[in-house]
Amino acid sequence: MKHLIISTGLAAAMALPAVAETLQIGTATAQTGSLAYADAPTMKGMKLAVEEINEAGGIGGTTKIELIEKDVRSDAAQTSIAAQELADAGVSVIVLPGDSDPSLAAVGVVSSAGIPAISTVASSPTLPEVGGEFMFSNFPGDNVQATVSAEWAREQGYETAWIVYSPDTQYTTMPLYFADVFEKLGGEVVGRSTNTIGQQDFSAIATTIASQDPQPDVVMTSAYEPDFPSLLKALRAAGVESQIIGSDGIDSPTTFSLGDVGEGVVFTTAGHATPGSALEAFDQAYEAKYGEAPETIYSAVGYDLIKVIEAAVLAAEGSTDPKDIRDAMAELENVQGATGLITYKGTNGMPVRQVSIIRVKDGERELVAQPTPDPDLIPAPRMQ
Amino acid sequence: MDLFLQQTTNALALGGTYALLALGLAVVFSIMGLINFAHGELMTISGYTLMYAGAAGLPFAVSVPLAILAAMVAAVAMERIAFRPVRNASGATMLITSFAVAMILQVLFQNLISARSQAVLLPDFLSDSVRVGGFVIGVNKIVAIVATVVMLIFLDRFMNKQKTGIAMRAAAEDFAVARLMGIRANTVIAGAFALSGLLAGVAAVLWVSQRASVDPLMGFTPVLKAFIAAILGGLGSLRGAVAGGFALGFIEVYLAAFLPQEMQEFRDPIGLGLVVLILLIRPNGLIPSRVLGAVKV
Repeated sequence: MKHLIISTGLAAAMALPAVAETLQIGTATAQTGSLAYADAPTMKGMKLAVEEINEAGGIGGTTKIELIEKDVRSDAAQTSIAAQELADAGVSVIVLPGDSDPSLAAVGVVSSAGIPAISTVASSPTLPEVGGEFMFSNFPGDNVQATVSAEWAREQGYETAWIVYSPDTQYTTMPLYFADVFEKLGGEVVGRSTNTIGQQDFSAIATTIASQDPQPDVVMTSAYEPDFPSLLKALRAAGVESQIIGSDGIDSPTTFSLGDVGEGVVFTTAGHATPGSALEAFDQAYEAKYGEAPETIYSAVGYDLIKVIEAAVLAAEGSTDPKDIRDAMAELENVQGATGLITYKGTNGMPVRQVSIIRVKDGERELVAQPTPDPDLIPAPRMQ
Repeated sequence: MDLFLQQTTNALALGGTYALLALGLAVVFSIMGLINFAHGELMTISGYTLMYAGAAGLPFAVSVPLAILAAMVAAVAMERIAFRPVRNASGATMLITSFAVAMILQVLFQNLISARSQAVLLPDFLSDSVRVGGFVIGVNKIVAIVATVVMLIFLDRFMNKQKTGIAMRAAAEDFAVARLMGIRANTVIAGAFALSGLLAGVAAVLWVSQRASVDPLMGFTPVLKAFIAAILGGLGSLRGAVAGGFALGFIEVYLAAFLPQEMQEFRDPIGLGLVVLILLIRPNGLIPSRVLGAVKV
């Protein structure tokens, strides 16, 4: 009898660590400051995923997830400090802000600590390339989005394009990728304008484009709020009637409330809630938790981020060792997220994800297409 | 030529908005010696008022005065709560206080409203344009120019005919002597803040009607432009602020319009370079204040 008690006790003691195992995910994201527009909604999606997984007993029914949150105030130096603190705390994965610059500031820390890091929504394809083997992205790359929109524009028979871009960040140079693909497909880029992020007045650019004869068929930009509505209004007020093509940065309620000016604008983004889709289910779960519909696709992308980590831990057979998770993550294929399937296998850390083309119609979103771009057309990452 | 005239209209509209912004800073600076960096947050408050009023279904004609009123009330409250306790402190203390007010308000907006931009519903006519011959002018441009002219006329009359305005001018010249003449410091300073709130409110309506959204950090760019314009015009001088605002608007629009494409990336440095150049020639600004201003040594 005594023997039995001891052995049961031993067995219990041996099983205990596995039962009580938690996966610590450290988030060094921008909950305040200029990047909060991306990271705050992403965090809400991440929390929803964590809650769902933990309520179901944890990853694989055993490993609960614990988020350790740090606000980096959209500051690059603070991101590096927060990442170091998280590394010292022994987390298994680190989540970095939704822009390449602060994420790159933390690359040294995550690489030397050997902890995989994922940026919330940074979309520059140069990020994992510069960041090395421990840096992952979580969003369709700028070059992929631009390929999708350029292919669409050529399919519509548009011959000429004008791009408006800003050299201020990697993301706002997306129109340069668009120009590459558009020309490769036989179109002609007839002009380029440069803006500054936060520029209030676009009338000079609008007047220049309006004075072209003939006007370009397409005006493509990756300017986002508040610049985009201002640019769009200026273009229309100046009499520019071209098709406007934007990117995921304008996937926001403002774009749909612009009235007549916004009608017909087309943009690429990470997903669209078709009936019965995973995104529709996500939107319902989000509304149940927060009492309001998600303001942006970024929340669903945040949910996906946790699902990717979950899949990596499962693939690593429940290991919470950072190195195991990194290796498993790099080999992930077709992980079902809220926005669709996500694949890292065969990439350098920039995931293969679906891109949706959306048109603004009667102030609502209309799905135009969800194409898979031709890999040969996708331009190589542009190093600045 | 048409193109030039068109761009000049653009420059007038933008310059007018900058002039209103710079005036808002100058009114307070001329009296207290405080550069209120929280001026931009007054605009944000106006913007959110517009947003909430629009969401509540109020007509635009009602939400605009409400938004302007909100900025005025916020400006007076800001003076009472944050700036009155440090009124006699050094310029640096007041400057830091204004930064603190700006940051606290930004974080409050982010946490209490939303970190993301909120759409502002605007009447469609603001996006329309009027065609005169070959000349296209946006309605919001016309509104901006008219609003600027009306505000400048109002301000001129207020400063020259109204008792409070005259008292404010007296205080700007020599506060100590003005007080000896029986002018109440609190009234003058509260009046200056109310006036700067009014200017911020009108500028905010023009600003927001162009971008159709408000976000917690939207005050930063306008206050920066206002600061540059105020320095360019001559810090502390009201006429200077107007001149500086228009000068900055013209520099920005003409550079964006006529600088060759290869040079466009350097538009902002070139624009600021021009500002520095003007200041090298006129170190106290275009129209310097009689009492304030740096001495060339």
